[in-house]
Amino acid sequence: MLKLERVDACYGSFKALDAIDMTIEAGELVVLLGANGAGKTTLFNTVSGLHRPSAGRINVAGRDVTGAKPSALVASGVVQCPEGRKLFPDMSVMKNLWLGGYVHRGDKRAMQKTLDDILAMFPILAEKKNEAAGSLSGGQQQMVAIGRALMGRPKLLLLDEPSLGLAPLIVKQVFETVAEINAAGTTVLLAEQNAYAALKIASRAYVIENGRLTIEGDRESMLGNEAVRKAYIGA
Amino acid sequence: MEALLQQLLNGLTLGSIYGLVALGLTLVYGILHVPNFAHGALYMVGAYVAYYVAGELGASYWLAMIAAAVIVAGLAVACERLVFHPLRNAPPIHDKIAAIGLLLFFEAVVQMYWGADFRRLEAPSNTIFHFAGLTLPAQRMLIIVAAFSLMGGLHLYLKKTLAGSTIIAMAQNREGAFLVGINANRVAMMTFAISGALAAVASTLFAPINLVYPAMGHLVLLKAFVIIILGGMGSIPGAIVGGLIIGFAEALGGFYISGDYKDVIAFALLVAILSIKPTGLFSQGVR
Ligand SMILES: Nc1ncnc2c1ncn2[C@@H]1O[C@H](COP(=O)(O)OP(=O)(O)OP(=O)(O)O)[C@@H](O)[C@H]1O
Ligand SMILES: [Mg+2]
Repeated sequence: MLKLERVDACYGSFKALDAIDMTIEAGELVVLLGANGAGKTTLFNTVSGLHRPSAGRINVAGRDVTGAKPSALVASGVVQCPEGRKLFPDMSVMKNLWLGGYVHRGDKRAMQKTLDDILAMFPILAEKKNEAAGSLSGGQQQMVAIGRALMGRPKLLLLDEPSLGLAPLIVKQVFETVAEINAAGTTVLLAEQNAYAALKIASRAYVIENGRLTIEGDRESMLGNEAVRKAYIGA
Repeated sequence: MEALLQQLLNGLTLGSIYGLVALGLTLVYGILHVPNFAHGALYMVGAYVAYYVAGELGASYWLAMIAAAVIVAGLAVACERLVFHPLRNAPPIHDKIAAIGLLLFFEAVVQMYWGADFRRLEAPSNTIFHFAGLTLPAQRMLIIVAAFSLMGGLHLYLKKTLAGSTIIAMAQNREGAFLVGINANRVAMMTFAISGALAAVASTLFAPINLVYPAMGHLVLLKAFVIIILGGMGSIPGAIVGGLIIGFAEALGGFYISGDYKDVIAFALLVAILSIKPTGLFSQGVR
């Protein structure tokens, strides 16, 4: 589904990603663990086309998409739910969700069906549909952000720290939702610092440190890995 | 009392024109952060296109207005593609210099073909209505009706259509807009096209009252900047309300104080309002 080969990304002369090799198969739920400033968001933005890689190749579903525009990537099924949500704060919840389906605008009936599914998943959004997205609580805004990404009908969903700043109970809900989305057939790459909760729903994980992938493995080996436990689980 | 009503009516006419010009300027600023100094030149070119189509080719005023809107919209898109787009990552001062360059370029081209003489665009109707002691020239009525219909249309477009919403989305969160697949180039072109068309319609509406000449955009542009600073940079209601305020202030000030000072009043008002509310009347940004 997604394949990165020796991808580098820079901010000026600072190398934020260094020779990233990563492969994600269709249907997987893979977690990307990393501390603040490790390069998770940079990796996501590079895959989404917001940031151009300075070297390496990116493949999605067998097609080379290196340097493709964000709009082309969304149209081909790579949708990101970004860190900080990046909603349209003064627009209604409904408008935010509807714009999430922008690339499918030719097919209003399919958009409506996706929207109904999302509102069934997050009933609170149906209640708040006419309120400005910026006026919602953090957890509700996170639901709008996830819903907006789902409106793009992703084949590969990139979720950047969806649990950031949410109360523990809401975090649990968010992870359950992510697991559901994955079970329904969407490949998911999830960036998290909340390693234990993330690993519970993941099949595999990578660890990123200072722009390099350092550890990789399936859930059991990650949970058993001494370095991972020390750095990200705190046990 | 009648004199006051008459001046309010004149103010409404002026304010409608200013509002249309300021709307285009504020949209471009709110979305692309380009202070488009060439906007006044687009306004001027619109009047010349209308003058050429109606005055020289002999077509109807309405056809001339449509031609002006379409051609200037195209011209604005060309400016975006050829000048502002290539400069999108350059330091902000480059945009401003380029915009002034465009302004000088358009004026020079127009002057080359038509010279610096004043020209007249005939109004579609010279009827003057009289009502309750007021003088209501048909052209002024047309200006008010057309301007408010256009503003209403623009509002519906931005709020009710998906294409229009992409413009607002881009203004509210640029990265968010990219991430739902909105194409930045498309939004930029659409925004410039709308702003060019509004400027051309405004100048075609105003030209029968106020002559056509190469420098006709200068004062209008300055006032449009005053309006959008007053209304809050990037704010759509701010541009409309600000346009009306300046229109009324000019008409009333010109009548009750002195006609010689009418152009100064806009700027005096700007200083007065900004010293009370430094962020402008409305919050900034396209809503
Ligand atoms: N726009 C930018 N300009 C310059 N440096 C940047 C920029 N964005 C990120 N960086 C740097 O790149 C590195 C990786 O940042 P990134 O945001 O990808 O980390 P992250 O893993 O997402 O962190 P967090 O968990 O805090 O979100 C950091 O050292 C950061 O300082
Ligand atoms: Mg991050």
